[in-house]
Amino acid sequence: MTLNDFINFLTKNTSTIMEYTENHFTLVLSAVAISLVIWVPVGLLLTKNDRWAARVLALANTIFCIPSLSMFAILVAIPTFGLGRKSALFALVLYAMMPLIRNVYDGVKNVDRNVIEAAKGMGMSSGRIMREILVPLGMPIIFTGFRITVVMTTGIAAIATYIGERNLGRFISEGLVRSNTPMMVTGALIISLIAVGLDTILGIIEKRVVPKGLRINR
Amino acid sequence: MIELKQITKQYPGQAMPAVDQLSLSIPEGEICVLVGPSGCGKSTTLRMINRMIEPTSGIIKINGNDVSNTDPDHLRMGIGYVIQQIGLLPHRTIAENIAIVPRLYKWPKDKIKKRVEELIVMMGLDPEKTRDKYPSQLSGGQMQRVGVARAMAVDPPIMLMDEPFGAVDPIARTHLQDEFLRLQKEIKKTIVFVTHDINEAIKMGNKIAIFNAGKLVQFGTPEEILTNPINEFVENFIGHDRVVKKLNLFHAAEAMQPVRCLVHENELLNAAQKMKDTGTEVAFLLNEVGKSCGHITLADLKEFGEDLVGLRKKVLRTEKAFVQSTTSLPDALSLLLEYDVDYLGILKGEELRGMLSFKDIRKHVYRKEGD
Repeated sequence: MTLNDFINFLTKNTSTIMEYTENHFTLVLSAVAISLVIWVPVGLLLTKNDRWAARVLALANTIFCIPSLSMFAILVAIPTFGLGRKSALFALVLYAMMPLIRNVYDGVKNVDRNVIEAAKGMGMSSGRIMREILVPLGMPIIFTGFRITVVMTTGIAAIATYIGERNLGRFISEGLVRSNTPMMVTGALIISLIAVGLDTILGIIEKRVVPKGLRINR
Repeated sequence: MIELKQITKQYPGQAMPAVDQLSLSIPEGEICVLVGPSGCGKSTTLRMINRMIEPTSGIIKINGNDVSNTDPDHLRMGIGYVIQQIGLLPHRTIAENIAIVPRLYKWPKDKIKKRVEELIVMMGLDPEKTRDKYPSQLSGGQMQRVGVARAMAVDPPIMLMDEPFGAVDPIARTHLQDEFLRLQKEIKKTIVFVTHDINEAIKMGNKIAIFNAGKLVQFGTPEEILTNPINEFVENFIGHDRVVKKLNLFHAAEAMQPVRCLVHENELLNAAQKMKDTGTEVAFLLNEVGKSCGHITLADLKEFGEDLVGLRKKVLRTEKAFVQSTTSLPDALSLLLEYDVDYLGILKGEELRGMLSFKDIRKHVYRKEGD
């Protein structure tokens, strides 16, 4: 492959590239959005009950171990899911369970017990302690989980091409089958760019979200 | 007033109750120190007052109201709470930390701001420099002050303090204790103070409650406890130097006796006659401007006889043997030994008010012991 082949591919297939990129993006963003809405509250709830936390975290770990290709295959075999976005979304949300729940749980559980004790002793309600103390102080760890989730989802979303998602993963799989190197590289490059780009943006956001007092050195 | 009636705390799976049938009345406006070895139930007792721990049985009343009838969050908002580890919120500035309880009470912003300022000053910190700092930027002693300020933010009548000065170095601790005692004279809060250090208990407490194995062993003023330890446990807990510790309760002014004989420096040789006339064995010397500058005893005069040079040397050694009337007796005792003298002059400012000898200290303690 020469640089020319690559540029040729890009210029000839601009609309397809745009379509696939858009599909990829919407899948990743909706999967992450759904995951956040479900798993962050679950993670917070689990901090209140150690027994349930152990069970749910073990389950999340198990799910995380299933290879993504197997997961998609299993979901496709279930009639209500079948081929397409429903299965893809469901699988991605399941994968996000581990990094999100684990990090929310760890983040909150790692908050200095004395701070909680003092806050409780001053009459702060448990809801207020959660909002004003546990979440802000757990934020560095919680946000790490969020970043892992976004990067991981971007990668696994590519594999969803095998169950009918028309996204950047398709360039890679078809490129491989057809020995079309420019096609393959285009897919690989854009997916990588999206992953790195999103992580960079999140890194910048993280700096704003993590409370200032936690970043100060003596 | 805080009243604990027949309080028991039994944790599941433990053979002995953490607190066993405890009854205690904590009078208003005083510091009541709960003291005992670790695991004796003192902290558990403290934490039951603001319902951080619920008792298994028994009643706790604050000003006649059963605390179990009050919503726990609301109850805690009205009681200052200081813990050893302080627990300042690391992501909030000092001003925000102090403002936590006022915010829970929904005070208007400018009222909170004014109060925060007032408290920072009260704690001996500089508002300009401290207000917008984060806890990690303060020293241990400063953080502890902020912890106390935060507990006093809404001026609660009751404060619970669990080893509040336990985490700072001894010098800072002494300083914080002294400041807090001075502050308490003005604010007159009802304070329950937990410590494992008997010396801190003696220093801080108007009343001391000694705990062992979940039970109240003895309750009384520091003097009562040091004078009449109720059993061997208390005696051992106070330590065998309890009489020396008791000296801590007194100032030099309380044990001193009046100076009967004053002589001028240049009439040293007449001193013997003067002492005989006044029926005393010691004379304090005045220099040319009438300031006391040492003392001489009858024994010295006998020893040196007409040897004026030797006598002057002897007097020179007592030049520094003066203390202020507010000096504690252990310090005075230590100085008597350090200067190797028989008497200390007791000053108030520059003025000689009395004198103190080993015998006076012994007599004072003996009299108190005999009461």
